[in-house]
Amino acid sequence: MESNRMNRLIELLGDGHARTIRMLADELNTTESDVMRQIDYLEHIRVIRKVIGDGAPGNGCASGCGGSCGGSCNGCPSGGGNMCKSCMPDGGFKNMGQMWELVK
Amino acid sequence: MTATIALLGQPNSGKSTVFNALTGLRQHVGNWPGKTVEKKEGTFLHDGKEYAVADLPGSYSLTANSDEEEITREFISSGKADVVCILADSSQLERSLFMMADYAGINVPSFLVLNMADVAEDQGKKIDAKALEDKLGIPVIQLSATENKKYDMFFEAMNRAIENKSLINISGLKTELEKIEGFTKLEELIPDGSIENYSALWLSAKAIENDRLVIDKLKNTLAPDVIKEVDGIRGAGGGAVSTGNSKFAWIDELLAGVLQKKDDQVKLGKLDRMYLSPVWGKPAVILTILFGLIGSFIPALPFMGLGQAIGGLKAPIAEALFSAGVSEILITVICNVVLQSFSYILQMLGFVFGVVLVFGLLEEVGVMARISYVFDNSMAKLGLQGKSVMPFLISFGCTMGGAAGTRVIDNWGQKVLTIALAWAVPCGAAWSVIPMLASLFFGPGAVLVIIAILLTMVLHMWITAKIFGRKLVKTGERYGMIMELPPYHKPKWGALFRYVLGRTKDTFFRVSKVVLLVCFLFWALSYSFVPGTDPILFKIGKVIEPVTKVFGMGWQLFMAFIASSVGKEGALGVISALFNDGSFYSAFSDAMSGAGVAADLNEVLLSNVTKPEALAFIFAITFNMPCVVALAATYQETASAKWTAKIAAYYTVGALVLSTIVYHIGLLIW
Repeated sequence: MESNRMNRLIELLGDGHARTIRMLADELNTTESDVMRQIDYLEHIRVIRKVIGDGAPGNGCASGCGGSCGGSCNGCPSGGGNMCKSCMPDGGFKNMGQMWELVK
Repeated sequence: MTATIALLGQPNSGKSTVFNALTGLRQHVGNWPGKTVEKKEGTFLHDGKEYAVADLPGSYSLTANSDEEEITREFISSGKADVVCILADSSQLERSLFMMADYAGINVPSFLVLNMADVAEDQGKKIDAKALEDKLGIPVIQLSATENKKYDMFFEAMNRAIENKSLINISGLKTELEKIEGFTKLEELIPDGSIENYSALWLSAKAIENDRLVIDKLKNTLAPDVIKEVDGIRGAGGGAVSTGNSKFAWIDELLAGVLQKKDDQVKLGKLDRMYLSPVWGKPAVILTILFGLIGSFIPALPFMGLGQAIGGLKAPIAEALFSAGVSEILITVICNVVLQSFSYILQMLGFVFGVVLVFGLLEEVGVMARISYVFDNSMAKLGLQGKSVMPFLISFGCTMGGAAGTRVIDNWGQKVLTIALAWAVPCGAAWSVIPMLASLFFGPGAVLVIIAILLTMVLHMWITAKIFGRKLVKTGERYGMIMELPPYHKPKWGALFRYVLGRTKDTFFRVSKVVLLVCFLFWALSYSFVPGTDPILFKIGKVIEPVTKVFGMGWQLFMAFIASSVGKEGALGVISALFNDGSFYSAFSDAMSGAGVAADLNEVLLSNVTKPEALAFIFAITFNMPCVVALAATYQETASAKWTAKIAAYYTVGALVLSTIVYHIGLLIW
């Protein structure tokens, strides 16, 4: 395993393309479980964030501004791109998998 | 009390199970002082000795990112624990050993419990706990925490750790961390014990990670010039990413020869081999959506039947009201505004029900995530996510369905932009008008007109993306996405129908308000309140004709253009009546009732409308606002009256600009 593996993962995310965990594993010459633990870690240190996951809205607007962002999640003081209730249908996103993106 | 044991581990590592197994009923639960984090403490007896246990809050690591992590660190560093039991999940050691790696360097005795040994065994994993113990220098055992009878090894490891004051051998971690630029220098600047119970290695790693609490404490401990030097080094150290790399590398080194497992690369199933194929992915996804779209008509049929039945009630109800002596104006409002609106709404609602059901089903079984993935890169060119392709395709059938389909887009700006672009896609109603008019005026050349409309659609979407995208999608907002595609599974029908019915009901109430309002407005403008006088709409039409001529439309065509904003299918009926000197009101009403076009419409149009005017009109109604129902759906999905109005105004103006251009091109040709 490379010693700068997470730097390479972050570099890959900068190119604007979507990749599955498996594709990342192939490009980084590692395993899917290794990619998953890197994702866990990068999310923990807030380098990346979850965009959609397990049908649950993000933890941005819903708790932070109470919807005062007027539906604009990008303008949400606490979310900054996370989802708020007005962006998410009740009961939707049951099985969209999980997605992560770089924190700007 | 013989000793205090602290249970440390990531969430779901089994801490609570161990805690409950050890303490039974001898436990109490409260809150950590000044925090809302749950505090669980208890005691247990072993070999006649009493031990205290603290179940520390579950946290990913020991970095001061959260209350849980701060509490955990504070408890350990305060010396309250005689030994720390670090728990890791045997079924995913590479991930869960991170807590142990983050703990390494703290000078409090510890032992490692590899929990969920049974799960790891079921996965075919073999773990050599003895080999790991030799490498780490602390007791290591495997355990299935749920099996209460197998705790002898736990007590044995605990006692050894207490007696030997066993600390983790950090030489391997040190080697990895010292690969970070300036780390060795940092260890020299921050000596062991600068903060009690922490080694120089641990403190240096946390300094690199910009750990707030460590930095603050070091500032109180070290000389200002040393702190300045520390700040300079840690700024260039690569932060938490570099220490994370080092810790994972050390974990891999520890597990080499310790963990044996099968190849964990999951083979792609047949469906995924097709959907994720660079060649077949897009065609497969397009076919899936098209079949879904066709399939969505089936559940829509009962709604359509119900809507038509309500429309059929107009005549008998009008007759009954007339017999009861109700005034004519009230009868027309009830029948031609209220009943007609609900007839129209229910028919459209059927399509919404069908679309939400079919596409909800695709999401439920896991296909939607694949669709999103396949189109992500293409949509990126418009500043959108892959998921945006679905509303576009749905909009070929019904723009309202397309707007409703944007609910799968999580980013509000991208959602609004998707709706704005979906409006450019000619809907089913438009496709019922365009070919008819095109073939009437241009014969075989109608094919060219349709091709021109499709090309204009693509250009329109591109221009619209450029105009609206600047405000809705911020520059630099687009980054690569990591997607963990969900496994395929059977749908939960109950939950799916509850969701679909909920959305349909919600749509019904919101859309009804808008449709009733707009229909009433059109009715009022086209009704002759004073017998023998022209309706307001007629008067307005005559006044504005000099302007409408610029767009290539006489006032009659322009009124039909306005009617197409309510519903495209209404446009033909309106021009039919107006060119026949008929009543605008009744023509509009009949058209919205689904009445057929006048039998002699072809002759009427050919004798009154020139080819350039016809072409201008076709483009104008195709790229005009789709219908009031789509307008209502847009408001519902965007939750913004401002943006709904902006999009509507943009399309109305855009349609007129297009018709002007097309009209003048037509004049050059004919």
